[in-house]
Amino acid sequence: MDSAPKRAKRLESAISFCLLAVLFLIAVGLFLKQSDSDMGRFGIYTAVPGLSSQKSEGNGPETTLGTLAPTGFEPLSEPQAYTEENLYEKINGKAPLYIESGFRKLFTQRFVSKDDQNLWMELFLFDMGTAKNAFSVYSVQRRPDAAPMSSVEDRKGGQTMQFAYKTTNALYFAIDKYYVELVGSAESQELLEAMLAIAGKIPAQLAAKDTEIAELRLFPQENIVPDSFKLHSAGVFGFEGLTDTFTARYTFDGSSLTAFLSRRQNAQDAQLVAESYYKFLINNGGVDKPLINKNIEAKVVEFYGTTEIVFTTGPFLAGIHEAQNQQTAEKLAEMLINKLKEVAN
Amino acid sequence: MDKQNNKKPVGRREFLRWAGKAGISIAAASTVSYLLYDATGPQPHRPADDLVTLPDFSVKQQPGRTMSIVKGSDRVKTVDKAIELLGGIERFVKPGETVAIKPNVAFASPPMLGATANPQLVAEVVRLCYGRARAKKVIVTDNPINDPASCFTLSGIGKAAEANGAKVILPKPHLFKHTTLKGGRLIKDWPVFYEPLAKADKLIGIAPVKDHHRSGASMSMKNWYGLLGGRRNIFHQDINTIIAELAMMVKPALVILDGTEVMITNGPTGGSASDLRRTNTLIASTDMVAADCCGCGLLNLRVSDLPYLAKAASAGAGTTDYESLKPKFATIS
Repeated sequence: MDSAPKRAKRLESAISFCLLAVLFLIAVGLFLKQSDSDMGRFGIYTAVPGLSSQKSEGNGPETTLGTLAPTGFEPLSEPQAYTEENLYEKINGKAPLYIESGFRKLFTQRFVSKDDQNLWMELFLFDMGTAKNAFSVYSVQRRPDAAPMSSVEDRKGGQTMQFAYKTTNALYFAIDKYYVELVGSAESQELLEAMLAIAGKIPAQLAAKDTEIAELRLFPQENIVPDSFKLHSAGVFGFEGLTDTFTARYTFDGSSLTAFLSRRQNAQDAQLVAESYYKFLINNGGVDKPLINKNIEAKVVEFYGTTEIVFTTGPFLAGIHEAQNQQTAEKLAEMLINKLKEVAN
Repeated sequence: MDKQNNKKPVGRREFLRWAGKAGISIAAASTVSYLLYDATGPQPHRPADDLVTLPDFSVKQQPGRTMSIVKGSDRVKTVDKAIELLGGIERFVKPGETVAIKPNVAFASPPMLGATANPQLVAEVVRLCYGRARAKKVIVTDNPINDPASCFTLSGIGKAAEANGAKVILPKPHLFKHTTLKGGRLIKDWPVFYEPLAKADKLIGIAPVKDHHRSGASMSMKNWYGLLGGRRNIFHQDINTIIAELAMMVKPALVILDGTEVMITNGPTGGSASDLRRTNTLIASTDMVAADCCGCGLLNLRVSDLPYLAKAASAGAGTTDYESLKPKFATIS
């Protein structure tokens, strides 16, 4: 007959023990976390003051980078791997550029000539997560006067790479989700040959597919400056709201101007960002100007002696940046609008 | 059910007793929580006596001999001339003194990339210290970003220094001490590469002029970043303040800013020879703010483009109006 109160008492006891157990676990968790707290973030009692660490986890592509050594070269040092946490230990102030663009990991490996210790190179293999991210860091750092790495002798039996160039001491390319740099210690033909040999092997080694960036086909080809495409991840033209934006440079009658476009989530989002960008220009000293070309719909702003244009076509936010001449800017804007309409149709 | 229904109802007195106990429990828990709550977070609790202050290595100012700018492509000749225009190395280093040279050895990269101080330049300053100034000892030291031994080896600075009799000191944990910058916001109880400087009588900084993705430019003030220990990258979030505080913390005898070839883009690491541009300028100064203000012009930057310059100047580290110092000019053909 007294089973109900007993059951209630047992239930209360069970709940109490559960609560006590949870509190105990929280206390243990707090204790462990506190003993493991990173006081170095506060500059207080760092375990090893002044010295940072470089981490190589040994479970990524770096395990096979040593096998890329070309004929006459050998690994100079152990391969190293860097995460977002310690990327700055390798590239210092340039780390934010990569991290803001979706950086996952960096693998590095140095190779040295067996005949001349002064001839060495370093391979930087950035895993950027996606092909677009890899293209972004490739494009914003592209040396403007560098030679494209597309000739037959540059391929060394490897596949053609669309986004690749070489300077007198280095090779740079983006393939699949990887951005790759091969930096030589000197301007040497022997080094350059060795770097090309490594570059030729990398796509197969990483099972990487060639990069295809669809947005680049949306830019008009007439008067475009070759290899001038860039993909900016954030803060484009100083405006925080403008993200993931492609740009391309053009020349008309000797003057240079930039076209830009960004695919937004939908047409409404594109319009909102376009309006915000227009207000940003006006709030920072821009002056609204009437359109000369009545065939297009766009906002025109005179901005400290240059012309800025912004418009939307469907989900695309696009425009012209830093044009010396309003008529030329509107001409290029019309070309871009027509190109985007082709795609939309 | 009957038992439950027949349960004796709670009386007013008993209810008040329970409520009182519950109230006392809640009040006690709240009081303990309040007393234990740390509103400010972890604070340095190092005894003030354990904190160090970097020595003041500055030399007496001489009007008209604060800054020199020498044009030329041969660093050995331009640095000789630049120092001569300020009164010669003897003004900065006295016989028998120990000199610490702090070049920028941040990266394990070859000299041709200009990401680190030029080894020939470092070698010549070592020679000047031992030769004309008759220094007792010259040490060359830095706490690089990459592996220190690789940085000193691959940059060529280690070999250049040792070949001319200098001692290279690599960072080791016991060489760091904590410091707090008076009036500083970021440098509080922070480890600095102290021991090599504590034993020195004079400090000379040698830095290349470089583009810098985060700060805009890396020159003589940014070079002192290499004296910080710990997870110093967190200061990148407030790069202008930390550079200004470094200029307040470090008082060198002389800074040498190498603009013979500047890294015009893709800094601070660069990577391609095409990132460099020959500007054939070498600056020596006892005012590092002034030196950097002059150097930023080599990167096509204005003083206003680099907020840390004005911050350092307003903190008393130097002047942004370097022309007011009437710098001495020379050209080496």
